[in-house]
This record gives sequence, C-alpha cells and structure tokens, in this order.
Amino acid sequence: MTHTIKLEANSRPEVMERILRVVRHRGFNLEEVLMKQCQTTNSTKITLKVSGERPISNLENQLNKLYDVAQLELHQSTATTGSAVAMNA
Amino acid sequence: MTGAELVLKVLQQHGIKHIFGYPGGAIMPIYDALYDSEVEHFLCRHEQGAAFSAIGYARSTGKVGVCMATSGPGATNLVTGLADAMMDSVPVVAITGQVFSNLIGTDAFQEMDVLGMSLSITKQSFLVQSLDELADVLHQAFEVAQSGRPGPVLVDIPKDIQVGSVDFEPYPIAEKQTPDFSAESLKLAKDLIASAQKPLFYVGGGVGLADAIDEMQDLLEATQIPAISTLKALGTVPADYPYNLGLVGMHGNQAANHAVQECDLLICTGARFDDRVTGKLDTFAPNAKVIHLDIDPAEISKLRHADVSILADFKKLLPALALETQIQPWQQQAVELRSEYAWRYDFPGETIYAPKLLNLLSQKLPHDHAVSCDVGQHQMWVAQHMLFSSPRNHLSSGGAGTMGFGLPAAIGVQVARPDCTSVVVSGDGSFMMNVQELGTIRRFKLPVKIVLLDNQRLGMVKQWQELFFEERYSETNLSDNPDFVTLAKAFDIPALTINQADQIEQGLDQLINSDGPFLLHVQIDEKENVWPLVPPGKANHDMLEGEKV
Ligand SMILES: Cc1ncc(C[n+]2csc(CCOP(=O)(O)OP(=O)(O)O)c2C)c(N)n1
Ligand SMILES: [Mg+2]
Repeated sequence: MTHTIKLEANSRPEVMERILRVVRHRGFNLEEVLMKQCQTTNSTKITLKVSGERPISNLENQLNKLYDVAQLELHQSTATTGSAVAMNA
Repeated sequence: MTGAELVLKVLQQHGIKHIFGYPGGAIMPIYDALYDSEVEHFLCRHEQGAAFSAIGYARSTGKVGVCMATSGPGATNLVTGLADAMMDSVPVVAITGQVFSNLIGTDAFQEMDVLGMSLSITKQSFLVQSLDELADVLHQAFEVAQSGRPGPVLVDIPKDIQVGSVDFEPYPIAEKQTPDFSAESLKLAKDLIASAQKPLFYVGGGVGLADAIDEMQDLLEATQIPAISTLKALGTVPADYPYNLGLVGMHGNQAANHAVQECDLLICTGARFDDRVTGKLDTFAPNAKVIHLDIDPAEISKLRHADVSILADFKKLLPALALETQIQPWQQQAVELRSEYAWRYDFPGETIYAPKLLNLLSQKLPHDHAVSCDVGQHQMWVAQHMLFSSPRNHLSSGGAGTMGFGLPAAIGVQVARPDCTSVVVSGDGSFMMNVQELGTIRRFKLPVKIVLLDNQRLGMVKQWQELFFEERYSETNLSDNPDFVTLAKAFDIPALTINQADQIEQGLDQLINSDGPFLLHVQIDEKENVWPLVPPGKANHDMLEGEKV
C-alpha cells in the first residue's frame, strides 16, 4: 500500500529527521518527500509518500504523537505504487 | 543573570529540589551556578547511575526526575537511562551541556550530535538555539515530560548560552488540562461490561502514571470484576481483593494466564499488549472483546483491535465506569483459580529458596518501603513473591529490562523519600553493572538496603540455555564473582553472607534493622529456575511448570 500524508510541523532544525525516523522505525518506506518552510507561520509543511504493509493508522498515530507535529492528514491510500500522486506542500 | 543561573531558577520554579548528575567541561557554568544554588545536587559515579536515580526519584513519587551530564561521553552515558524511561513512560528531564554553538559540527573536543542521538530515546528533545528561547524550552521540557503519557525530555545547552546574560521572567505554570472523553464511547463501554459474562480488568502501568490508583481500586470495589496486572501495575490492585489474579504474562501466575484466555471481555486499562504479556499475540484472550482505555492514542489497536476505546485521563474516566455486575459464576471461578495456583513456600530443604526469602522480606518490611530490582530471575521472583501497596513501591525496568537499574533507582527512591525503607533486590550479574553507585550511597550516607541474590550465574539467560539451547551454557557462568562482602566494606557498607535456610530470618532482621546501608549477600542454588514460564511463541495457557530444586 502507498499512502500520502500531509503534515504541518514546528520549524525546528531537526524536525525532518524526527519525522523520517518515525516513518522508518515504524515499518514504512519513503517513496517521495516534499518540504517547505513557511516563514510567516514559523512552520514547516511536509508531504510524504510512504509505502508499507502495516496499518497506516499506526504510523499516523505515531507521527501525531510527535510534539513538533501540529497537524496531520492522510490524503490518499492506494494499493499499488504505480500511480503518480501530485505532491503539493 | 547568566543562562546557567536561569536553568536552576526554572528548575526551582517547577519544584525541583534534587538533581542527579556528573560534571564536565561543557556543563561547567551550570555546575558553577549550582555551587550556591538551593537545588541539591547528588553526584553519582557514572551518568547512567544519574539517569536511573532520576528514574527512581520519578517513579517512586510521580514527580519529574532531573539528571545532568556534560557533552559527548557524558551525554552518551545517559542514553540507556533515557531509553529505559522512554519505554516505561517515566517523566525525566535530562540537561546536557554542549560545546560552544560555533563549534557544533566541527568535531570539536567532546562535541557529539546529542540531539541526533536523542531522537529515538526521548519523548522530545531540544538543542537550545539562543538565550531568548532558553527559559521557554525548559518550561516546555517540564510540560512535555509530564503531560499525556509521560516520558523523558532532553535539553542540550551550548556553553555560550550558559554563560550569556539574560533577564529572568517569572513564568505562570499552566494548570494541567485533561481531555474530555466521549459520552458515546463511555456508554458503549458500559454496555459491553454490563452484558459480559466473564469480564476481566487487564491493569497496566498507566493507572499509576495517571495517579488514579484510588480510582482504580474504587472501580474494582464497585464492579467486583476480576483483575490481572502487568509488571508495572503491581501494587495497583489490592493484594486482598478477592478477585486479584496477580501478574499476567511470561512468568505470570497461572491463575492470571488462564483467566485471560477464558475471559469474554478484556478491559485493558493503561496497558499495551506487550509481547511479554501476551505470549503468541493471536492466541491471547481468544474469546474476548476488547475495551481499551488509555491516554495515548497510538496504543489503541496497535497490536490488538479494540472494539471500544476511550482516550482519557483515568482520574476522570474510571469513576464514570462504575456499575454493578452479575457475574457470580465467573467470580467463583476466579476465586478457585486463585487458590488453585497460589504460590507455595512450604518446600523442605536446607538451602535458601529465594522466593521464600523475598516473601518473608515483604512481610517484614515497614509499611513505608519501596523495592527496586534489577533484571533477571531475581526480578521475576520479586514480581511474583513480594506484595506491594502501590506501583510507586515497586520499581522494575519493564519495557527495556535494563540490568544495572536497581541500585541507582533505589538511590533515587531514598533521596525522594528519605523516611522510606528503600530496598534493592539485585542479581550478581546486574549488581556489577552499576556497582560504582555504592560510592554514591557512601557519599550521601543513604540507608539503602541491598539484597544480592547470588547464583553465580547470569541466571535468566542460563535458564533459557537450559530449556531452549540444549544446556549449552555459553558465557553465563559468573563463579569468579568478587567477594561481595569485601566489596561492600570498601564502601563502608556492612555486609553479611547467608546460604542456609535457617539464617534467613536473622539475615533479614539485620538488614532491615541496620541504621545505615546494608548488603545481605544471599547465596542460592544456581539450578533454581523461575516458574511458571510461557515458552516463546506459545499461548499463555501453555505454561511450563518446573520443580523447586
Ligand atoms: C544491560 C543488559 N544486558 C544484557 C541483558 C540480558 N540479560 C537479561 S537477564 C540477564 C542475566 C542477569 O543476571 P543476574 O543479574 O545475575 O540475575 P539472575 O537472572 O541470575 O537472577 C541478562 C544477561 C539485559 N537485560 N540488560
Ligand atoms: Mg545471577
């Protein structure tokens, strides 16, 4: 399964590492990533495309638990990795 | 004031009176500020000891434990302790010194990426970026450590920020906010409980962490539903509750393991379906619907699907769950299980049977006591054979199972609760992992009581070699241990060796009645194993029973 997750996080220097570490450790592969700093809100917008066989709700919960993650939405889940997903942060 | 002084001011604002640590170059400004601060610092003899003492302090009181270390190797020595706190949800704040900001990333002396190392072993961590954010980061650290599901937080502070000057502004400490739970889920849960024939509370460490022990006990009283406990919950369900079935899991009581396999409704209350509890997961509680109560959304349906879940602060939730049940046959079954599988100590023999010694110790200890233990067979015997009146009185490294936990944890307990009899039950392997902390006991004249169960083996590993590796005893023989009595004496700690059953009574009395610290060295048979045991990959009702040797 492939999933697209959109996140808004506090823009601390290590926030991307923190998020990617959770993705890997909780059993998902990173397929695509887009990240953008938003100066006005001091936040970071991130779109991740991940694949993995474990329930995506587990990953959502673990990411949501991060203190620096302010918002999370699961956008799309597809059975194959073939179709391209538009990545707009 | 300086950044370093500010750090101590903020600690005081959060009510911190005691901290555990070890100095070094990058944290010298904070140690300098400590020199005339009211915060009392306990110098440990290894940063790992400092981290475990902070854990002991936190677990035995429910308050935040604080530890401190210098950059580089000081910080790496904290790592095991923080990981332990992470796995057991312990509120700890670790403060580490870091090299000057402009030297970060230059491979300077003792410069390591502590923030990077902290990511997987803390609930949250910060590398302080500027003096402006120092106070705010520290306040956040205390808030995060205690809120929701507690956990360790690390704050890495570069030296330039420690020496820089800053204004101190008082900070209003926010009242703890508790989330409201949905009335709808509450109704679903109560309906399930009311219609169950064989409901069972599966009580975890979350109840104690939420400071909801009284609420849990009231709920048991109201519902009269049988209960099983995880390692971390021991002490939550009253020992004399007629339907208390005891410890569940790999070395749990048969009564608990049979009950869980038979129940038709499992009410998981602040527990997390750990593999040491469930055995083979898909055989665990096979006939049960599940109600999962927790504060952490990530635990719901992580390993076992929850039919109903409620996210809430237990102090509010548990009273709302009270209802009357009609489950006499099940209660009767619980009573029978409990008596059928009650622990026995009436074995003949001249040598010392550790379970019996621990059970007797439990009866002899004064009311205000706490037992910290290490990891191995002795740890399981403590869990099985000692009785606790609160989870705050039983400190055991659960999730991480870290050898070396016991002695420094007991030091933390003794600092936090000076009037309490702080006991550590250790093994000959584990004891040597933080044995340097005897120096801390001596320095602060802490009356910690040490029971060292010496089987001259890494017993738990040896037991597995015997059962599952064809008795090939690879690297588990410790018969060249040091002379523990002499070792204790080098730290001015009186000590006594016993090895005969008829010495138990007197040995325990000497231990408990000594004014200061004491080490009771107990020689036991290396062949004694922990029973019962759910073998790896088996269901919980498939327990192996063994004989006392
Ligand atoms: C830091 C650490 N290293 C290794 C282990 C693996 N381990 C678990 S129990 C055990 C043996 C402990 O021996 P001892 O403290 O003498 O206790 P006993 O089982 O003999 O009572 C070992 C090596 C561990 N849990 N922690
Ligand atoms: Mg041993």
